[in-house]
Amino acid sequence: MQSVLRRTVFARAGSLTRPSRPLGSPYRSQFVRTLITKRYTSDHESVVFDDETGLGVVSITNYAQSSLGDVVFVELPTVGSQVDQGSQIGAVESVKAASDIYAPVSGTVKEVNESLSDQPALINKSPEDKGWLCKIQLSDPKEMETLLTEKAYLASLEA
Amino acid sequence: MRHSLSKASIKMALPPIHHHQFRRALPYYSTLLLQEYLHRLQLARRKAGKQYPDLLLLLQHRPVYTAGRRQTDTELQDERKRLEARGADFVHTQRGGELTYHGPGQIVGYPLLDLGRSVPPVAVRDYICLMQKTLKLHLREAHNIDSSSTDLTGVFLAPDAKIASIGVQIRHRLTTHGFAMNITNQPLAWFEDVVACGLEGVKATTVSAALGTDVSLRDEVPGLVRRFGQVYGRDMVPSIWTAIPRSAMLSSM
Repeated sequence: MQSVLRRTVFARAGSLTRPSRPLGSPYRSQFVRTLITKRYTSDHESVVFDDETGLGVVSITNYAQSSLGDVVFVELPTVGSQVDQGSQIGAVESVKAASDIYAPVSGTVKEVNESLSDQPALINKSPEDKGWLCKIQLSDPKEMETLLTEKAYLASLEA
Repeated sequence: MRHSLSKASIKMALPPIHHHQFRRALPYYSTLLLQEYLHRLQLARRKAGKQYPDLLLLLQHRPVYTAGRRQTDTELQDERKRLEARGADFVHTQRGGELTYHGPGQIVGYPLLDLGRSVPPVAVRDYICLMQKTLKLHLREAHNIDSSSTDLTGVFLAPDAKIASIGVQIRHRLTTHGFAMNITNQPLAWFEDVVACGLEGVKATTVSAALGTDVSLRDEVPGLVRRFGQVYGRDMVPSIWTAIPRSAMLSSM
């Protein structure tokens, strides 16, 4: 599975022109391209970064939710708070164990998933989609490069 | 003649868990500070690639009611006033679980373990499951007490009779807080008039109450430690202080 998805939005209606550079490199020219990248931490958080909005959607991974058991409570950061990469931003409680969650990237918390307050089980059912935790406005998108690619993350689980 | 390694990987034995029993009932807050100190030490030494021990602290607390992470200071305000008026301390903690009582006559255990030592790491729910297994095994073997099966976390002798509680915090796979089991009848009066663990209609029970005789708490500990090691698959070694290098202790202060 591709860890980097590309979405191409045509700046104006017209015929498709062949890109003059290899598809491997992101660029902006007559096409407005947005880049969506997904990365992982060794603490089993994931972040999906959209370079158009500058927002990273933070979740815990499927591996994490299965290791936790049934989630009964989620503690999320306050909207507007500044977080540093690696700092504690909340916790997930299951079977009387409160497991801390850490920010995969630095920035400002723009939104938190309100549905988790009355539906904490969303984290078990849909950890990386409906069970998303918060959205962070990245202060330094280069931090994404310090995180694990999907391949590296999955390999670490096999080890 | 060539010997080939078998396909099954050679399992590296995990280091022993160092345990220590405190003789005197300890105030809750200073014990919490000790846990935090040991946790920070483990985290720092792990980051630096140095050796750090897994620990099990066993103790009794002076009377205290503690709340868990879910509960807010506002909602606890009235309870705090009421319970402090009874002469107990009240501490709001970062562990999972809700309101509970600790005090003399109850064994409290704080396993400070790195769940990531093993490959694969111990899953959170398995860590809790093993803790429950340890307590149930102890009740069965030491006292012939059968506990009931339940979906709830903790150990029950009946749906409305809870004998042991569990509440844990996990940070970077390092555990703090742990379990509490009622041995003598001393804790019972303190459990009256609180809805412990958020469970309406559930009362506390004790080993002494279940047996109908007094039981000495001190006698419980060696067997409990042994069974902890058995269930978690680890050797148990007495004394935590020999496991922490003096240089580490001094540099962290």
